[in-house]
Amino acid sequence: MLVLFTDTDTDITPKVAKEFGYHLISMPYSIDGVTTYPYEDFEEFDAHAFYDSLRGGILPKTSGISSENYKKYFEPHFRNGDDILYVHFSAAMTATFEAMDIAVKELKEKYPDRKFYTIDTKGITIGSLNIVEEIGDLYKAGKTIDEIMEWSKTEVDKFAVYFFADDLKFFKASGRVSGLAGTMGTLLGIRPIIHMNSEGKMVNIGKEKGRAKALSRLISIVEELQEDIDKHRVIVAHTDAPELVNEAVKRLKEKFGDGLRIEIFDVNPTAGSHCGPSTVGISFHAKHR
Amino acid sequence: MNTTTLDGIMFANMIRGGAASLSAKRQLVNDLNVFPIPDGDTGDNMFMTIDSGVAALRPDMDTSLGSTASAAAKGMLLGARGNSGVILSRIFAGISRELEGTEKADVTLLGKAFESGLSEAYSAVSVPVEGTILTVFKDAVNYAGARINTGSTLESYFENFLKELHRSLERTPELLEVLKKAGVVDSGGAGFIYIAEGMRNALKGEVSDIIRDGTQSVKKIDFSAFDENSELEFGYCTEFLLRLQNSKCDPAAFDLEGFKNYLCSVGESVVAFREGTIIKVHVHTMRPGDILSYCQQYGEFLTTKIENMSLQHNEIYTESKYEPDMKKPRKTYGIVSVAAGNGIKEVFTSLGCDAVVDGGQSMNPSTEDLISAFRNINAEKILVYPNNGNIILTAQQAASLYKDAEVYIIPTKTIGEGYAAISMLDTENRDISGIIDEQKEIISGVVTGVVSKAVRDTKQDGIDVKKDDYIGFVGDCIYNTSADKNTALSGLAEKLETNNYDIVLIICGENVTPDEADEINELFTDKYSQADIIMIDGQQPIYDYILILE
Repeated sequence: MLVLFTDTDTDITPKVAKEFGYHLISMPYSIDGVTTYPYEDFEEFDAHAFYDSLRGGILPKTSGISSENYKKYFEPHFRNGDDILYVHFSAAMTATFEAMDIAVKELKEKYPDRKFYTIDTKGITIGSLNIVEEIGDLYKAGKTIDEIMEWSKTEVDKFAVYFFADDLKFFKASGRVSGLAGTMGTLLGIRPIIHMNSEGKMVNIGKEKGRAKALSRLISIVEELQEDIDKHRVIVAHTDAPELVNEAVKRLKEKFGDGLRIEIFDVNPTAGSHCGPSTVGISFHAKHR
Repeated sequence: MNTTTLDGIMFANMIRGGAASLSAKRQLVNDLNVFPIPDGDTGDNMFMTIDSGVAALRPDMDTSLGSTASAAAKGMLLGARGNSGVILSRIFAGISRELEGTEKADVTLLGKAFESGLSEAYSAVSVPVEGTILTVFKDAVNYAGARINTGSTLESYFENFLKELHRSLERTPELLEVLKKAGVVDSGGAGFIYIAEGMRNALKGEVSDIIRDGTQSVKKIDFSAFDENSELEFGYCTEFLLRLQNSKCDPAAFDLEGFKNYLCSVGESVVAFREGTIIKVHVHTMRPGDILSYCQQYGEFLTTKIENMSLQHNEIYTESKYEPDMKKPRKTYGIVSVAAGNGIKEVFTSLGCDAVVDGGQSMNPSTEDLISAFRNINAEKILVYPNNGNIILTAQQAASLYKDAEVYIIPTKTIGEGYAAISMLDTENRDISGIIDEQKEIISGVVTGVVSKAVRDTKQDGIDVKKDDYIGFVGDCIYNTSADKNTALSGLAEKLETNNYDIVLIICGENVTPDEADEINELFTDKYSQADIIMIDGQQPIYDYILILE
């Protein structure tokens, strides 16, 4: 049997994971040396409280997990005689998958007949989530692993995610966005527009002044790039910016009709530590990223 | 005294006298401000401009009238600050052009020189505004010029000149609405009168000292600036007088236009004109010897002067406060802005400015300050954001004098316009004209309001202003007034329909307390939730709040 895995960096909640049958790997963050594993150390994520603490000046750190940790997640399933498909967040953004490779290599020596598949969503948060959910759909519809892998070859690059942040200091601290010009060193109302490229990296593609203009830019990007948007989910995520989300949803519905399948998620705290509060993003099916 | 000829020594004394007279009155001129707040700086600007001319009058130089006038004019050109300062420097540039090569002048030539100053000053500004120093100078030049006769002396010329200066100054409020509304006369015109009075006094032998409250640097030529390894970057400023010789050519048939065309083909900044059989030439060239040999086929030289311009440039360079540790690599775009107040300067630095030149409403930078910044950046193209209406002309003058980069002025008149434009500047894969158009478009969408404390009672725009009240204004229009600075700011914000903007940037001045700033932050966050409210501790003087709406 095939067992599905994904991680908390994709913004999936335990409830949604359960609907598709995903097992969840928790990606930690730490504040003042105290490490927290989402949905292991707490049941419900209080996004408002978390992002408000970031507004208050807290700057969390994030880290990968150990090989031992990966083994703990995977081994019980191999022992059971199941194969694993791990749909994970972008390998280009982290070193944690080296630890995973070591764990998997050891486990394969122990369980040589077992298969371990991975699909790199080349995204994080909702950029990944849209793909995670589509694969969940295929899995529930009884598609084989070969069919799923074949699907991923073309479709992973067709889920675009665009977002803008409020405060650049979180990106600067994480160093994970390329192309952020020196001319955007402080907040001062400037919103960098960022997307995940087909290499799975965050890239700055422009800037707008003020939330309203930045949101309009996102909507126009969706309009321009979308392909079969009405046949797929459109996911809107935010770091404690409910008004912006409401506005985004309203604008999307105006453009594409009330029938659009819009889902709203909180950005998970680990990824959210890199983009900071009041970020908003849209993930959608597109001609290309 | 009945002086009929003016020589270089006397002219130098007159310029010193003009500077001394203005130095004693500069604050009076500063106070001729259309707003009842202490941000006038015309007196300072004009004084520093003429004082740069004084500094250029070195004791060892040639004492001919032409050389003296030229040295003073060059000094003023580089030292020019503010609109009135730039215009003043161009007046003296025009005077010097007319006097070029002359040993002495009689009153007729002096009158002509002043006329030349007049046309040069008018050509300096793209849209001349009447009711300013331009008008005052024009009226006096025309009045005194028309009264030159055989019995005229320099003294009588100056008496007429001054008489009309005063009368014309009194008329400025009739020509310029903002002056009338504020109940003041034009400050630049007033400053010029003090200079002219000082010149007249020097003519009479009355000399007073120049009062300098700031530090004044003395210029020296530093020969080490061009050493064994230096490369000739700027060429030679080459000037000579050529006497056409009958033995070599037919002076009457000499083709000046063809001669000029030749000079233009081998040099830049060509000025050539003839007076009788004398040809006066000014040219910047890499190979002065070639030009001299060529010219000798027509005649012989009366004077020659060849100066390595790298040394001249270095004169500016060594005085610069932007002394680089090492030569920076040449970049495609450089950004220079002008701002006062540490907090505001930090904002511009963080927005990506390569140099933030100190200056603003109450202290304009000089042409030379800007050129220093240009040199230090070492970029192919330089974008300049003056952020003040009174600095744009200086920036243009600096741009025209600086040859080592293409310099473009983005005509930002306020700090708000500068912030808006620079923050959205995107130079990647763009052509310069597209960038400039876009930047100008951005500027047009910004409103900058200011709250400042009144230093006198006034009634303007239908609003009664009491001394020590805070006024809210935009450009030259007062919107409201209040005894409390926060009330003045919130009132101004309401009048400006802040609820229609996305970005509300509030820059707090040095007299705003943290509690007052907190109160404003809360008030605005509450009232204008549609916008990004950004508070900046600008620490700027005079303006308690700068409110930027975009």
